[in-house]
Amino acid sequence: MKLAIAEAIATERDMASISIPIPLRDRARTGLLGWLATVDHKKIGVMYMMVAFSFFVIAGVLALLIRLQLAAPNMQVVDPQTYNQIFTMHGTVMIFLFTIPMLVGGFGNYLLPLMIGARDVAFPRLNAFSFWITLGAGLVMFGGFLFGARSDAAWTAYIPYSSKTFSPTIGMDIWLLGLILLGIGSTLGAVNFLVTLYSMRAPGMTAWRIPMFGWAMGTTAGMVLLATPVLTAALIMLVADRNFNTQFFTTNRVQLWQHMFWFYSHPAVYIMILPAMGIISEVIPVFARKPLFGLRAVVISTILIGLLGFTTWVHHMFVSGVDPTIERFFMFTTMVIAVPTGVKMFNWLATLWGGSLNLKTPLLMCLGFLATFVIGGISGVMQGSIPVDQYVHNSYWVVAHFHYVLFGGSVFGIFAGLYFWVPKITGRMFDEKLGKLHFWTMMIGFNVTFFPMHFLGLLGMPRRIATYDAGRGWEAGNLIATIGAFLLAFSVLIFIINCIKLRNGERAGNDPWEGNTLEWSTTSPPPEYNFREIPVVESDRPLFDARMRTPSA
Amino acid sequence: MMDKSNLAMHMAGSQRWSDSRPDSRVGQPQPAKPTRVKNIGLLGVAFFIVSESMFFVGLFLAWFYLRATSDAWPPAGVAPPPLLPAVINTGIALLSTVAVLFADRAIARDNRSGLIAGIATAGALGVIFMAVQSAEFTALSALAQGSAYGSTFTFLLLFHVLRVFVGVVLMGVVLVRALLGHFSSRRRLLVQGTAMYWCFITGVWLVVFAVLYLLS
Ligand code: HEM
Ligand SMILES: [Cu+2]
Repeated sequence: MKLAIAEAIATERDMASISIPIPLRDRARTGLLGWLATVDHKKIGVMYMMVAFSFFVIAGVLALLIRLQLAAPNMQVVDPQTYNQIFTMHGTVMIFLFTIPMLVGGFGNYLLPLMIGARDVAFPRLNAFSFWITLGAGLVMFGGFLFGARSDAAWTAYIPYSSKTFSPTIGMDIWLLGLILLGIGSTLGAVNFLVTLYSMRAPGMTAWRIPMFGWAMGTTAGMVLLATPVLTAALIMLVADRNFNTQFFTTNRVQLWQHMFWFYSHPAVYIMILPAMGIISEVIPVFARKPLFGLRAVVISTILIGLLGFTTWVHHMFVSGVDPTIERFFMFTTMVIAVPTGVKMFNWLATLWGGSLNLKTPLLMCLGFLATFVIGGISGVMQGSIPVDQYVHNSYWVVAHFHYVLFGGSVFGIFAGLYFWVPKITGRMFDEKLGKLHFWTMMIGFNVTFFPMHFLGLLGMPRRIATYDAGRGWEAGNLIATIGAFLLAFSVLIFIINCIKLRNGERAGNDPWEGNTLEWSTTSPPPEYNFREIPVVESDRPLFDARMRTPSA
Repeated sequence: MMDKSNLAMHMAGSQRWSDSRPDSRVGQPQPAKPTRVKNIGLLGVAFFIVSESMFFVGLFLAWFYLRATSDAWPPAGVAPPPLLPAVINTGIALLSTVAVLFADRAIARDNRSGLIAGIATAGALGVIFMAVQSAEFTALSALAQGSAYGSTFTFLLLFHVLRVFVGVVLMGVVLVRALLGHFSSRRRLLVQGTAMYWCFITGVWLVVFAVLYLLS
């Protein structure tokens, strides 16, 4: 019912100036207890975002320590042991405590019910439980870090580094326990999202009218559901090996850990990129003033990526001594998965093409995503080839690759989403000038940091080394990377300042960007029940329809 | 194309263009909480069972990988596990599944005593199952520390029997609530969920039995 939405917008807008009466339910739940005891998907989403962002800052500081240590040959900022602990924690926190909780827990929770026209997720209390268990897991991991028991076997926890022999302290066990808890939290969250998406859509929202972000979250949740339990099994097995003397990962069977770990962790890289792709698929059409080019192609390639994501994990093990026939199969699938990724790339470019681009910060972040992600995709395909990978594996080339896809992709996507939806979440607009400054410092800082790493890798610099001698040709690249890292940190500082300035930001109103999806039909921030009236959807851009129908709005 | 079914349109008394892809749901009265399936709780249980299955897929992956990379399976000097207790437990598992399904069918017809009888039988059988398994464990614990074979064997049994425990606890809750007069043909989500989960547990046992006992 386009009319109803249009009317709702009109009335909401009119009421905004008369100050909206808050229903009693809402008022009762403000204040600290209102947050801690909440089962509202929006508050839970915001808490995920806050927690994840805090972890982002912490892991970022660890990254600065890494870059300081490597800025010049033979630096002694930290000792090698501590260095190992720092990069372990940096990787673990960025992946498990920042990117995944931010995208899935934060954006997923906040937006999914709003976008599909629901009042909440299917199981709100389970949702709150997932959040608290995730936070608890994060604290467990840091608990070990603070009390001197730290894991130092990298985020991949390869055997034998993570075995009792090489990681004798309880730090490793705490790390494993934290990951097990996190896995439980995200598996339950995935169940919740899948049921929500399947059964809670507003009337009229047929499959092809689900917003792209919804499809991305659905695929992501499916991958979480299928992949995470396998990692959980492996983690429990490792705990048992370390403490109960079982014999799963004895030294002549190190590959078993790698298989089980990458069976989860390759899908996990898509768990981290698909929601970001979903975000930019929502943002680009709004700022190009065009519908998403080939929505169905994007949906189908998203699902294909989700399925194929389970068939490529051995490309992380090309030097582990896997049977060559098997390796070749996985090389083939790795090349194949680049195809649906490329399809999406063309869809975004075609959406931009000929659009009347509104170059606000959210769109800039999306352009940053496209420009950097494509480089990461290309370096990925290159190292997906066995002969190339045997040369670059475990070198800084790989570090460059995954930062181009994870920072250039996921993190730019996250910031695109924040600049786009924080006005909805808070009711205030960001400062556009600071936003642009944030984008440009981040874009430049990012490339200055990570582009030289391609060369360092090709020059033979291994990853995860605490220091290096002069005279190998690695000095310049490392120094440039360190300078870039501080620029990058500065850009995040600008974002934080921009967040603080939100208090006095311009009022956003219901629909500051002329959006397409249902969340823009309700107030900013939305009431606890989201929609006064559940909307009825008649196309994949319900708000666009509504605008077309209200002559003066 | 004109969309004649639209409630708002009728109320507003106006006509307007509609999307070219009409949807039969448009214009239906609005439920407070729109849902497209009768029972979202059961859908949740179904998805949860998918994730539970993947956990066992992980353990079986380890089993087959370690088996493929071992010289002898079970290792030399280790006798294959005795079949009899496992056969007995297979019978028990199947019987209890029948009982739990009977209980669910009964309450679907508002037959509460049938529910109580069925769920009590299934729960009791579950307890017997656990007792037999714990005897297995005492025999196995030494094995677990000695070899990859023993480790995966014990893990598969252990994590299966943990699920049995959860299932028995669920059946206990159902039993108590049924005795208190809860549940009816319209309100039996917990019964249905428990039945579904129990069927899954039995299914896992059948695979465990086939792989660990029959195929080794
Ligand atoms: C075109 C698609 C992609 C291809 C063909 C590809 C290929 C590869 C290959 C072959 C490796 C192993 C390199 C080695 O260790 O020697 C790798 C590593 C990695 N990739 Fe990708 N990749 C792609 C996209 C992505 C995306 C989208 C992400 C995440 C958002 C990602 C994250 C990673 C990470 C984190 C690693 C390193 C893991 C580690 O060893 O610590 N990749 N990629
Ligand atoms: Cu991979």
